[in-house]
Amino acid sequence: MKTPARILADQVNRIQKSGRFSPRSASLPTWCPGCGYFGIHQGLNDCISRLGLPLAEIVTVSGIGCAGRYPFFSNTYGLHTVHGRALPAATGVKLANPNLTVFAVGGDGDGLAIGGGHLPHIARRNIDVNYLLFDNSIYGLTKGQPSPSSPIGTKTKASPYGTVDKPLNATLMALSYGASFVARLFAGDPKGITEALIEGVRNPGFSFFHIYTTCVTFDKNFKTWTHLKEWTHALSQDYNPNDLRRAFNEVLNDDFSLGVIFKRDI
Amino acid sequence: MPEVDFTVEVCGMAGDGTIAAGGLINEAMSLGGFSVLGFDSYPAEIRGFGRCVTNSRIGSNDIVALGEKTHALISLNDEQSRSRAPFLAEHSLVFFDSNPPAYVSEDNSLLSVLPPGEEVFGMPFGELAVGASGSSRGRNLTALGGFAAVTGTDPNLFRKVIRDKFKSKGEKVVNINVKSFDAGYQYALEKFSDRLKSVFPKIETGHDPQKVTLSGNQAIGMAAIDAGLKLYFGYPITPATPIMEYLAKYLPEHGGRVVQMEDEISSIGAVLGSFYAGARSMTATSGPGFALMTELITHGVMAEIPAVILDAQRGGPATGLPTKTEQSDLHAAVFGGPGDSARIVIAPTNVEECYHFVIRSFQLAEKYQTPVIVLTDFFLDNRVENRPFIRASEGQAASWNVFPDDAFKDRYQRYADTPSGISPRALPGMQGFNFTATGLEHTEKGSPDYSSENHAKMSEKRHRKIRYALKDLEKPAEFFVSDNLDVGVIGWGSTFGSVLEAVEKSRKNGFKVGALKITSLFPYHSETIKAFMAKSRRVLVPELNYEGQLANLIAHLDSKPVERLNFVTGAPIPPSAIQNRIEELLEVVA
Amino acid sequence: MSVKRFVIIGNGPAANHAAEALREKSSESKITMFSKDPFRSYRAHLLPDFIAGLIEEEDLYNRPYAHYNEMDITLRLGQRVVNVDFSKRNVILDHKEVVPFDGLIIATGGKPRIPELFQLFGDIMMTLKTPSDARLWIQKLSYVDSVLIIGGDLTSLSLTKALLKLGKRVKFILNEDAFWPVPLNEEIYRAVTGRLEQRGIEIVHCRRIRRITQLEENLLEVETDSELIEVGALGAFFGLVPDVGFLARTGLDIDRGVLVNEFLKTRFSNVYAAGDCAQVYHPVLRDYWISIGHENAIALGRIAASNLAGSHLEVQVEPENILEVGGVKVNTSWWTEF
Ligand SMILES: Cc1cc2nc3c(=O)[nH]c(=O)nc-3n(C[C@H](O)[C@H](O)[C@H](O)COP(=O)(O)OP(=O)(O)OC[C@H]3O[C@@H](n4cnc5c(N)ncnc54)[C@H](O)[C@@H]3O)c2cc1C
Ligand SMILES: Cc1ncc(C[n+]2csc(CCOP(=O)(O)OP(=O)(O)O)c2C)c(N)n1
Ligand code: SF4
Ligand SMILES: [Mg+2]
Repeated sequence: MKTPARILADQVNRIQKSGRFSPRSASLPTWCPGCGYFGIHQGLNDCISRLGLPLAEIVTVSGIGCAGRYPFFSNTYGLHTVHGRALPAATGVKLANPNLTVFAVGGDGDGLAIGGGHLPHIARRNIDVNYLLFDNSIYGLTKGQPSPSSPIGTKTKASPYGTVDKPLNATLMALSYGASFVARLFAGDPKGITEALIEGVRNPGFSFFHIYTTCVTFDKNFKTWTHLKEWTHALSQDYNPNDLRRAFNEVLNDDFSLGVIFKRDI
Repeated sequence: MPEVDFTVEVCGMAGDGTIAAGGLINEAMSLGGFSVLGFDSYPAEIRGFGRCVTNSRIGSNDIVALGEKTHALISLNDEQSRSRAPFLAEHSLVFFDSNPPAYVSEDNSLLSVLPPGEEVFGMPFGELAVGASGSSRGRNLTALGGFAAVTGTDPNLFRKVIRDKFKSKGEKVVNINVKSFDAGYQYALEKFSDRLKSVFPKIETGHDPQKVTLSGNQAIGMAAIDAGLKLYFGYPITPATPIMEYLAKYLPEHGGRVVQMEDEISSIGAVLGSFYAGARSMTATSGPGFALMTELITHGVMAEIPAVILDAQRGGPATGLPTKTEQSDLHAAVFGGPGDSARIVIAPTNVEECYHFVIRSFQLAEKYQTPVIVLTDFFLDNRVENRPFIRASEGQAASWNVFPDDAFKDRYQRYADTPSGISPRALPGMQGFNFTATGLEHTEKGSPDYSSENHAKMSEKRHRKIRYALKDLEKPAEFFVSDNLDVGVIGWGSTFGSVLEAVEKSRKNGFKVGALKITSLFPYHSETIKAFMAKSRRVLVPELNYEGQLANLIAHLDSKPVERLNFVTGAPIPPSAIQNRIEELLEVVA
Repeated sequence: MSVKRFVIIGNGPAANHAAEALREKSSESKITMFSKDPFRSYRAHLLPDFIAGLIEEEDLYNRPYAHYNEMDITLRLGQRVVNVDFSKRNVILDHKEVVPFDGLIIATGGKPRIPELFQLFGDIMMTLKTPSDARLWIQKLSYVDSVLIIGGDLTSLSLTKALLKLGKRVKFILNEDAFWPVPLNEEIYRAVTGRLEQRGIEIVHCRRIRRITQLEENLLEVETDSELIEVGALGAFFGLVPDVGFLARTGLDIDRGVLVNEFLKTRFSNVYAAGDCAQVYHPVLRDYWISIGHENAIALGRIAASNLAGSHLEVQVEPENILEVGGVKVNTSWWTEF
């Protein structure tokens, strides 16, 4: 005989199985096994679940790249645009319907190269979009060319003698552009991602999440799991994210401290 | 009443009040019951220093094209006005400042380049203005006073429009300006007493209150507001900028917003984003910006997201001729961008159509879930016309969105194939219809799928949808068409007025000539066009481009070759050029 | 020849013939003509016929605009020269435009003379020199049926004919200046008045006009030492004087007209004067003379142009230019006294 509690438990079970309230879509991510993006996926999904946001009121906007595929793996509304244009489209979505929670996701090529001109502007307009930059310092989808965040000397098929240009520091850029919320995170720490996202989603303006991640397929030397784990570490205990000068100092002095770097007092 | 067909130009430097004076002429003449077609031109990128010219053609019958010869020139800056001398008709009236602040050399003088037959009316514009108002700023108004006196125009028409123009600045400013006008009027009445004409007789029926004097740009802006535009995204570019400026001023009071974006790519990106989320939005640009947009426009085609893009064409390619008019983006609008990316392209031919087409473009975009491109050009955007003009009701601007039925909840296929090709579209926020819109080839469900069968099927679906849109697109309009024509002239966009005038004149000369106006450029009504071509012994397509872009698009519809008349002068096609070509062709036909 | 840029002030017969002669002699040069009047070159002697309605206004004009294009002459109508700067060699126009010249021909003709005594009534008195004067006459004559002509120079007689043709009553005051600059002697006076009276013109014999009062728009009262006359309009015909006031203080020698030598040259190099405005030196008479008349203007215009273009022609006009006035032959040229 089924007790009411039992019936309820069954219902919950069924709903969970149906995936209707799970941020994960029915299609499994097509990323390479071991790709850092799985960790980001988990971090964002947990954030959505924990905030209890209705999935139909979330739009995930992306550009093109391995990272750009993200919307297909999510049960929210998705807008998979062209290379580099997630932020303008996200701007349109948010302004059209401010009730929606908008995530923009994309790779470092998408966001720092072809779409690099949009970051300053969404930041200065302070549009309430949460932008997750998946920084693996490589062009994954096009099979391993250097990206604007690749360190000098990166050797790929397209740069057989090593790159010569200085890499961009996305966290520093976002601070300079006046983003009202800036966090630096690591795909190997989904919990940290979730925590920062929860805080960032609550920020009623543009929130930038610079997420170090790895491309296991095309980067065997630099941003590998081993290196990233070794290099990254939490911000110091007494760090105050409300102080912009301190934030600049932090980012200039340390490339790998993780956490909420800056948060504008409201 | 004798037939009036009179063209007046005002020319000066920015700051001379040239554009204002031209505007007052248009308004006053409209008020007097005349038809007016006005066109201002100025080099926008250096507006602070450049030459401004306004051209107003004033007629007792409907005016559909720009005047070819100027019958009166009001020079507020003689050095600048020299460039207008070649456009003067014989015995035109030239008003100039007879007491400029400094001596001028012959090389800078307007009078030194005038043909001897022109009648010159020297008036101390500045001095009269100072006398009337204490400042020489009203020079343009004293000049108008002289113009009104010499042409025999009822001064009350000008007084009224001057009052209306300055009303918002207070009674004092109104009076000063009316006084300046009167000073010029009185001066000219006395000084030129033996040379006064009667160009503009009083029209007894007077002003038709349904007639509104509007520019193409204003009509576009009004249409966007009447269509309930929520968001405008744009990046400044001549000649589209005035649309953004108009909306920046008026959209907020209607609950909308204008966001100046960082470039045209982000503008169209944001437009797609807003339509995706359910809000009407638009962007306006010109050729160079349009080129940047093409990737995302085809994204709208592929992901089936509505968008409204107005391309105010200018001379190209590349930066080209920013302040000149041309119709050379037709190929780009119809074909531009990667892949088989059929979209809807429409082109108004006059100010009134600018209004109705822009409203319609939102509905078409919604129903057919595809970018709709409205092609105008510098000449159409900046011309003013006074025509009977009735604003669209809310119903006429209603949404044409096609939403999915609740029955499909939780088993929603965003790109479901249907007989029309139209797949009901859900908006974020609708429970149970979550989907991802994508520019990758996809299945009916929306999952990426590059298989050959799927791509073939979905390509066909998208094109079927665009073909289906024909039933909501305005059919080509025939003018003076009979069963057989010696010459059939096909026109589109801003040039159609010149086509119509040329055809009318040729018919008055006794020739069997007809015209076809095509406003739906893609998809187009091939049967109607074909039928028109079939009954014309010769087909002529005049266009403001070098390549004959409309001719290229439709030439295959008939076996006989299409005659092209291509102008790339940066200026509207003169009706007489079309008429000459028609009559040349007639000689060949005969 | 280095002279490249010619300016001609005037658009009468002297100016036009000068321009044409200049063009014949120098095909390269730039030629610009100015006229303060806004109309084309016209035949002044037809003005009375125009007033009488015998011809159309169009018939007055004798050179189409195209003519100037063909000759490559810039004709600038309705633009008055107000000054000439002979040191900088510029002419200055009323609207403050400065036009440089290498060579200049002054052919500004004459303007109706109003004797000092009558200058007070300038507004009321009508004259006849140009088509626009003629238009004013036509306008006026549509309201009035009587005209008083004072003075009575040569043109007044042809106007009178026109007035009679139109059925107007004409009164005439032949005063001393009547045939200015020809002195009015008894013989002429009697002959002329006789003829005029024959035609039904009322001659008012008086020595002085005391007062002119405008009673109404189209009604004047003229008080002479002998009677009180009411008329609709008043014509003043005291001949023409050289129209050279604007040249005063430019350094040019001016007496009544512009003083030129027998080659029509002024004191400045490449500056000439011709036609009604020129006062020409006669080496034998050792005095200056003026001629009024169409033929004389043409001849002088051509000579001035030729000399400006490098020739050295001396004025050889007909010793006499005889005009018949009311049956009396009058010599209109070679006046030294006026
Ligand atoms: C009614 C009438 C009837 C006549 N009948 C006869 C006749 O039957 N036979 C005969 O021989 N003569 C006749 N004459 C006289 C004859 O017309 C003149 O002698 C002749 O026109 C003189 O020619 P001109 O070129 O010297 O000067 P005008 O013809 O007087 O021309 C002078 C020109 O100079 C221009 N001008 C003057 N000042 C300026 C300035 N400051 N700036 C610019 N332009 C200026 C004027 O606009 C004009 O174009 C008659 C004259 C009149 C008025
Ligand atoms: C306009 C345009 N140029 C180039 C490409 C090809 N392209 C696709 S993804 C990509 C770079 C992907 O790198 P990144 O943005 O770092 O994403 P990742 O694959 O590393 O996630 C490029 C160059 C494209 N799709 N569109
Ligand atoms: S190619 Fe690299 S970035 Fe792309 S999915 Fe594979 S591992 Fe991840
Ligand atoms: Mg990358």
